Amino acid sequence: MTSGLRWVGYGVALAAVAFAVVLASRFGTDPGLVESPLLGQPAPEFELAPLEGGDPVSLTDLRGDIVVVNFFASWCLQCRNEHAALTSTADAFADQEVTFVQIGYQESPPESLDYLETAGRSEAAWYLADPGSRTAIAYGVFGIPETFFIDESGTVVGKIIGESDAFTLGATIDAIAAGEVPGQSVTGDTQQRPDE
Amino acid sequence: MPERLRTIVFAGLLVAMAAVLVMLMATNETEADRVESIGGRIKCPVCQGEPIANSPAQLARDMMELVRQRVAEGQTDVAIVDELLASYSGAVLLDPPASGWTLVLWIAPVLALGAGVAVIVWWKQHPDRGTGPSPMLEMSRARRLAPLLILASAFAAIVVVAGFFLQERSGPNSGVADITDQNLEDVSNETMEAVIAVNTDHPQVDGMRLALAERYYQENDFSSAFPHYFAVVESPNANASQVVTALTRLGWMAWQGNGEAATAIDLFDQAIDIDQDSTMARYLKAQVLWCGPGNTEEASALLEDVLAEPEVDDDVRRFVTADLESIRSGETCA
Repeated sequence: MTSGLRWVGYGVALAAVAFAVVLASRFGTDPGLVESPLLGQPAPEFELAPLEGGDPVSLTDLRGDIVVVNFFASWCLQCRNEHAALTSTADAFADQEVTFVQIGYQESPPESLDYLETAGRSEAAWYLADPGSRTAIAYGVFGIPETFFIDESGTVVGKIIGESDAFTLGATIDAIAAGEVPGQSVTGDTQQRPDE
Repeated sequence: MPERLRTIVFAGLLVAMAAVLVMLMATNETEADRVESIGGRIKCPVCQGEPIANSPAQLARDMMELVRQRVAEGQTDVAIVDELLASYSGAVLLDPPASGWTLVLWIAPVLALGAGVAVIVWWKQHPDRGTGPSPMLEMSRARRLAPLLILASAFAAIVVVAGFFLQERSGPNSGVADITDQNLEDVSNETMEAVIAVNTDHPQVDGMRLALAERYYQENDFSSAFPHYFAVVESPNANASQVVTALTRLGWMAWQGNGEAATAIDLFDQAIDIDQDSTMARYLKAQVLWCGPGNTEEASALLEDVLAEPEVDDDVRRFVTADLESIRSGETCA
């Protein structure tokens, strides 16, 4: 084999190795853990009715507040675990310009309401229905719980994938109020509907 | 007609027919076809490599419904796919995007093909390829170059893997404050309230309760401080020092806030029962005894006890001495 041909062979072998490493490095990566493209972008608008019905609540109406948007469902174990933290944090920040919005995900409003009846709810939070998962899709929800943080200007500045606790929620709000950008954090697993 | 012209005309006709066929196919595409086509390119976010068009998952069905609505609204395929990409990023494309690391997936086959063609062309243009150095010499050169090849491959692997991990570090697990890195000074009262509310039975919550109560106390917000001091006193997990601090603060708030001298003295006594050396409890009790019922004798005795302690802080010693002199000189409480 001559020199030229040999170097072509080496080049091909090198490219093949690099190619294999790229494929191997991505193997097993959970696509739900990719950084949300919404971070740093204007939050998708929504106008959703409360679970009980009544006048819809729109994100535009909440502009000027730090808005915490959480997707939950009665069938989600992690959501049940974090619910008390969301409630207590919403209560604690009730006198500040912070609004909690919890959006029922892939279940009927009566199912969500039944769950809230036992899990409890904050007087300072909104509990909204999302027919057709339109808002969940707009926020790029893979599984729940997922919690988004929107700053006073309406920009998505934080996202928690998985179960939150009161300290993480509160500290994230504190950071946003201080002008920081918390970014995305993975705190645990998320869940799909059990029948999937 | 010359042979060449006939060929050109024939080729032109073929191209025209193909163009007409493509146009017919495009114009005959129904909305349902478009929905299926778009749905076939979008990966179901909760499935394993399955397009939303074929997935029974609820999220996939909801996404298909969104695609159906957007098509009915007259949006272009590109706009519909872009809308989903804006929410989910390229992670929902079945065909990886031709950018970033996945660009390799698109380039590699082309490079491999190019290399193969180059080898064949070179092979054909060098008919004397069989007259090169002897196979034994080639083997020897190959052995010499093998380590170089291995090193180069390892380097490439390291670069790719390092790039992958650096990319991951800037993505998930970055940003949101980690509880273990938090300095309590940076945490708002609201956050502490929220944490305490969901951890009322936690064995270590009393420390946070006391810290929060102290903040309120320093701000003269006695009504907010009171329930936390009271909870510390009642807590089975609070240590003696925490309970003494809470009792002392409750006593002083009872006196300062409501002028309840008897209640205050009772609370100071409870603190002193737990820690007889508590400087703060004895000093504040002396203050209330002097300023409330006017019991200067007991107040003086307490202050003298405090001064007898060798480890009393200089500032405290100065205050206690001044108060003791005032009592002895018959001054009224300021």
